[in-house]
Amino acid sequence: MTDGAAQSSSCTTPPRRSLFCKYFATLFVAAVVPLILGAAVEASFGYRDQRRQISAVLQADARAASDRIEAFTDGIRDQLGWMVQLPWSAGDDAQHKTDALRLLQQVPAIVSVSLLDETGTERVFVSRLLLNRTGRGIDMSTDPAVLGARANKVWYGAVQYKRDSEPYMRIAVAGSLPAAGVAIAEVNLKLIWDVIAAIRIGETGYAIVVDDSGHLIAHPDISLVLRGRASSGSFSRIKHLVGAASGAAVINGDQGKPVVALSVQAADVGWTVIAMQPVSEAFASIRAALWRSSILIAFGVLIALALAYWRAHRMSGPIKQLEEGVERIRTGQFEHRIKIFSGDELQQLALRFNEMASELAISQQKSARIERLKQFLPSQVAELVEHSHELLEGQRREVAVIFGDLRGFTAFSTRNEPDVIMAVMREYYEAVGAVTTRHEATLIGFDGDGVMLLVNAPVACEQPATQAVRLAIDLQMTVQSLAGRWYDSGHAIGFGVGVAMGAATVGTVGYNGRLDYTAMGAVVNLASRLCNLAKDAQILADPTIAGRVRDSVPLASLGQRNIKGYDQALEVFAVAPADLPSKPPGSGQRRREKEPQDH
Amino acid sequence: MKRREFILLIGGGLAWPAIARAQDGAKLHRIFWVSTASEPDPFLDGFREGMRALGYVEGKTVTFETHYAPGNPQALRKIVSELQQRDIDLVVSSGPATRVMTAVTDIPVLFALSGDPVALGVVKSLAHPGTNFTGSTFLSLELAGKRVELLKDIYPKLRKLAVFSNTDHPGEPLEWRATLESCRNLGIEAAYVPFCGAREIENGLTAAGKVDADALLVFPDAVTLVHRAKIAELAIAHRLPSMFGWSEYCDAGGLLSYGANQRTTYFRLATYADRILRGENPSDLPVMRPEKFELAVNLKTARLLGIDLDVSSILFRASKVIS
Repeated sequence: MTDGAAQSSSCTTPPRRSLFCKYFATLFVAAVVPLILGAAVEASFGYRDQRRQISAVLQADARAASDRIEAFTDGIRDQLGWMVQLPWSAGDDAQHKTDALRLLQQVPAIVSVSLLDETGTERVFVSRLLLNRTGRGIDMSTDPAVLGARANKVWYGAVQYKRDSEPYMRIAVAGSLPAAGVAIAEVNLKLIWDVIAAIRIGETGYAIVVDDSGHLIAHPDISLVLRGRASSGSFSRIKHLVGAASGAAVINGDQGKPVVALSVQAADVGWTVIAMQPVSEAFASIRAALWRSSILIAFGVLIALALAYWRAHRMSGPIKQLEEGVERIRTGQFEHRIKIFSGDELQQLALRFNEMASELAISQQKSARIERLKQFLPSQVAELVEHSHELLEGQRREVAVIFGDLRGFTAFSTRNEPDVIMAVMREYYEAVGAVTTRHEATLIGFDGDGVMLLVNAPVACEQPATQAVRLAIDLQMTVQSLAGRWYDSGHAIGFGVGVAMGAATVGTVGYNGRLDYTAMGAVVNLASRLCNLAKDAQILADPTIAGRVRDSVPLASLGQRNIKGYDQALEVFAVAPADLPSKPPGSGQRRREKEPQDH
Repeated sequence: MKRREFILLIGGGLAWPAIARAQDGAKLHRIFWVSTASEPDPFLDGFREGMRALGYVEGKTVTFETHYAPGNPQALRKIVSELQQRDIDLVVSSGPATRVMTAVTDIPVLFALSGDPVALGVVKSLAHPGTNFTGSTFLSLELAGKRVELLKDIYPKLRKLAVFSNTDHPGEPLEWRATLESCRNLGIEAAYVPFCGAREIENGLTAAGKVDADALLVFPDAVTLVHRAKIAELAIAHRLPSMFGWSEYCDAGGLLSYGANQRTTYFRLATYADRILRGENPSDLPVMRPEKFELAVNLKTARLLGIDLDVSSILFRASKVIS
């Protein structure tokens, strides 16, 4: 039993779990996948839009910075242009010096100005740091600044770092008249810092300026510029990466964090303005959207988890209940009921199951009752008690009544011990019961050594007379074979049978739960009398029986006999089939030789 | 390329938003202020102002421990040994005190020098100090000659110039040499009036008054800055056009000054202090140099001295005119 239970549980548990898992997984995936897909698609589109927008912003800011830087250099160029409008003449130096001093006053970025005459000789030099000089000074005619300015009117020198730290450049402008000479200004590029530091892209974005070879010229953190060429490596990398991209590029910025960057050329000086914004800020809105989506997804996942769990549980729970119910029914617990109130097919199934269980219980109770009734009632009657009451109602009908009685029983019972008597009685009763069952007759009851049987009531049969006679023969033969054995044990017991047929009132009588089925009427008395008349091994039948079975069973008329309770004598017949042993009347003994023949 | 960027963005973007600058917001920073000047100290005030502007609250996020040894840098030596034992985040030294602080090697030192820090040996180069020192230089040396020139521009009759100098100041000999050189170029006789530290300033002033000079040049330095009003008074009393290093002298009655703006310099020094307190290495912070120089003119003093500024080429060049 335990083995069976263990086996059954090991067989049933995995499928249940897998059903739960399947439902759970399906519901979960169905809820979560669309959420994630939606978020991913939205993020990707948002990213593209944002990127386009950032490109536009960076482009505008870089262009603005480049414009301002051009304005810075153009301002210096224009101011220098004033210095070279008029040709040099004698005694002009003082006036030129004043002009140059005013230029210094005007343009803070200019550290010093050299004014050269048409020969390229320095005539005036004013500086913020060094002593001013006037009058003919050094010959600068071969200076690249002079050559460049003479060739192109304007010349921009390369960026140089003073003491490897401060960025400087020289700008030279030649007058439209060669006689006006050339003005060369030395410009401290730290002053561009004001231009660059003022540019804020978003909250933390900024712009930087590098020259053609990637040297840093301007950066909001001036200390990076002051590191001179030492820090230019990373900036030339940035310039290269950003320059290679068509629009904005995502690169690792100078502070090691990813930035979105875009570069614009400042045409005149050949510098590059790079506008950059940290990715964290540039895509903050996308990030926020991603966070929102993630929170939504997490939320959705939780809801989906709960729903899927609930759903799957709703599905597998009742199934488990049903399974348990079946198991209980199997072990006979018919009172078990399944409680499912899901309002769907499962509830319907549970209802049907409960109905089935109650019907099973009823039929079980019935059969149990029949079993019990059979102990006390003829089994046909017991069945009828359960199934059709009307057959048991009192009614008058034609029945065949068979009485049997042991001969010599009184003498036997007085000579023997009760347990021996009991053993004989048990054998006798068992044999009678078996025969009755075989012939589907109704055993009305035993009365000591006598027995009363009924044919055609309460269950009707087609030929009650024939059946009754055959039963009587079978009964006689069976008991005779028993009697043979009893004889061997020293007990002289015989058996006589009487059969009669006629109308009788049949039905149940009883009180207080005790029920008996019986027949009342003259035919019962007649059968009883015939039984009394019958000698050992004899079967006596009344004329009704004889009339009915005359064709199928050999009968011998014993002539008219007076029967107690009857006014007239009645013809009595002895059933004498070929195989029924005939014994001399009155003889209570039987011969031993005859015995094997009986079987 | 784009897909990779997108993935980078998603990956990086999902990191928690950085909470910038929050990690040591509540920490109390201890700054040692070391100076050979004496209180009241205008440099310290400028620096404090800069720190306040950067959001530092005195007593809450920053404390200043001031150590003064007026005119006596040697007295600061014992502070150096004291520094090693105490939990100090930063030393700020101005002027001659910097020279003593070279003994400090494990605590960042910010300096504000008139002279050249490379020549003084506290940094390896301006672009990359490479030591625990960084700071600002005022370019006094480079401007020394320019000051003589400007004095001659406003007072062309200048023949003899009294040069009032605190010999206790680091780089003073160089500054004196540069001044002497430009005096020679401009045909001026220089009368050297040295004094040593705050203790000798009275004697120095007396000596300066006795020099029969046409004008007075005062080297910018903490001691002369503290006594600027007295010096300006002396110059006016002796009818001497005077030239100073910073505009604070002009505010106190000096005729002319040419030099970097102190306020700007100390503000910048405060930004470096901030960066070092945030963990940056001073050896990576380039030494700052001023790029703007102020020419301040005190019209009232000019009137007192009877100098006609209209005929000189000075006034249009002035960035600060005190009237």
